Amino acid sequence: MMRKVIGILLIVLGLGYVFVSFDFLPAIGDSSAPAHKHVSDYYIENALKDTNSPNLVTAVLADYRGFDTLLETTVMFSAGVCVVMILGSKSPLRKRYLVPKEILKGKPYGGIPAYKTVNKDVMTTLIEILILLYAIYVLLHGEVGPGGGFQAGALIALAYIVNVMVAPDIKPLFKFTKINAVAAAGIGVFIYAFTGLLTMFAGGAFLEYGKLPFPIPENDLHPVGIMMIETGVAIGVMATIITILIAIIERVRFDDDRN
Amino acid sequence: MTGIEQFLADKGIYFLTFFLLSLGIYGIITCKNYMKKLIGMNIMQVSAIIFFLSLGQKKGATIPVLLEGLTNSDAYNNPLTHALMLTAIVVSLGTTGVGLALLTRIKEKFGSVEEEEIIRRQDKL
Repeated sequence: MMRKVIGILLIVLGLGYVFVSFDFLPAIGDSSAPAHKHVSDYYIENALKDTNSPNLVTAVLADYRGFDTLLETTVMFSAGVCVVMILGSKSPLRKRYLVPKEILKGKPYGGIPAYKTVNKDVMTTLIEILILLYAIYVLLHGEVGPGGGFQAGALIALAYIVNVMVAPDIKPLFKFTKINAVAAAGIGVFIYAFTGLLTMFAGGAFLEYGKLPFPIPENDLHPVGIMMIETGVAIGVMATIITILIAIIERVRFDDDRN
Repeated sequence: MTGIEQFLADKGIYFLTFFLLSLGIYGIITCKNYMKKLIGMNIMQVSAIIFFLSLGQKKGATIPVLLEGLTNSDAYNNPLTHALMLTAIVVSLGTTGVGLALLTRIKEKFGSVEEEEIIRRQDKL
């Protein structure tokens, strides 16, 4: 009871604070707001010249703020490692079973749905391929249109999740073990950092794509560098999501699991 | 537009995002179930994301992908907020994953994710 009062009080105070302080906040859509001045204008006007990437979000994400994205990918990787370490210890098998007793009491088949259609398996194979195609499109299209590495990684992971959660019986397109998934996340981060080191070896600063040691015109080097780090980010995010999924699925067993 | 309509168009989204934030905090404070607390934390993160994205909007502007012959900076939404929130979404996914892993361990140790149950069994351990 006390908690609810405190909670409602907090909401009232918070909303009241907004009522008091909304004069500080700029009107939505006002193009002279402080957020749109200074560095944002510079990004919009010079991104094509500086980075040769029409998608401004990718230009900001991968080029101007490359360090930020590198550490963000590292955060994802360390989250995956964290999950593996938290759930890595051995525990008595009995404790791992989740038995939703109240729900299952009156139901036949022990919670497994009685309807069995072939539809689910067929549709999963179709949808998986479509999701993967779309993920590759989003990854390769990330410089000239909406898209990028994070989204592509999440989509590839979605294909895997659909496979594991919806249709565990059919043969998967690609399969990961927990160790492989963590290793893949590390490889993703490594590709990113290696791109930065490559520019350093060629005599530039860290992540200065114009100095990449490839025999192509300098104007094309920026898209190549951005594509390299986007691939790294996609692999890292995909592998991290799959790691979290596998780690939790291996540890927790529902009583309607097959094995 | 009348005054109130103008006010809602300019500042209304702030109330909605702050309401979402308060909803998340309320859920974290009041819910006794740790899973629901985690969901409340996610709602808070979403409210912060929407707040940032609405700050990045400009009236009559298009998405931040450059078009031929359109170089005016007022014609594009702010790309900075989009880039920042893109990474924030992914990091919120990572934190949720770690939270779920911790919940799994709590469930194994105490046999429940309800707060009262956990406190009751904590005395016995």
